[in-house]
Amino acid sequence: MGGFFCHFLALRNSLNPNKNKAFLRSEVSMAANIPAGIDKEQAFGMAETEMEYRVELFNRLAQTCFNKCVDKRYKEAELNMGENSCIDRCVSKYWQVNSMIGQMLSAGGRPPM
Amino acid sequence: MAASTSESDLNTQVPSSNEADQPQIQAIRMPSMEEIRAQEVWNNCAVRSVASGVMGGGLGFMMGMFLGALDNPMMQEQMSGRQQLIYNLKQMGTRSWSSAKTFAVMGVVFSAVECVVEKARAKHDTTNTVVAGCVTGGTMSAKAGPKAACVGCVGFAAFSVAIEKFFDRHT
Repeated sequence: MGGFFCHFLALRNSLNPNKNKAFLRSEVSMAANIPAGIDKEQAFGMAETEMEYRVELFNRLAQTCFNKCVDKRYKEAELNMGENSCIDRCVSKYWQVNSMIGQMLSAGGRPPM
Repeated sequence: MAASTSESDLNTQVPSSNEADQPQIQAIRMPSMEEIRAQEVWNNCAVRSVASGVMGGGLGFMMGMFLGALDNPMMQEQMSGRQQLIYNLKQMGTRSWSSAKTFAVMGVVFSAVECVVEKARAKHDTTNTVVAGCVTGGTMSAKAGPKAACVGCVGFAAFSVAIEKFFDRHT
């Protein structure tokens, strides 16, 4: 099981610029830098929402790629090479799709039909 | 991350009356970057094929020495005992060296092809073993013509599938 999280951590650390453990503090500092007129409470709320979003994203990503890539007939404890490359591709595609949809939703109010 | 925090909350709610009986459940520990890198070393195709070649060379050396020791012509009339021993040892040495080279090449080719095919397909199957066995058998008997290459391909593929099934009997 450590192998699966190993791979996810390696990919996540390369994809996610937010590496330090105090996520909320970093979120607050990031949020506090951008607009001038937002008070601490609002920034904290935004950081909490962002944190929940990221946690949910990680959980869904791990669930999806585990269900897709790992055969349920567990023959050994370690991930083999096929599963490793499958996880690489799955995480990369999931991340791309996620960012693409996020951009589309944040740019226009409604999705273009 | 939410799953791990909920699991550690569950651990702290274990009733204290059972603590003496059951061993404490450890929380999930995420691996560090050193552990990740150490495991990623064995994902490299070059590293795996070189290691497989070394193991094949060792195996071939042992087998060559064993078979060379068995197969010695008894020429007691022409040479004395000590000369015969030296001759036997030299013959064993050449045989084991050539056998080691053959097995090493076999190990490198098989391991490299299997690694590349498995990485490309992103699946752990017997198809990888079949393709790797076919390529290995084909390259080893390629000198004797295309028909011998086909026969070698099929034969070595069947052999490697049989070996893999033999080693995976407990699953």
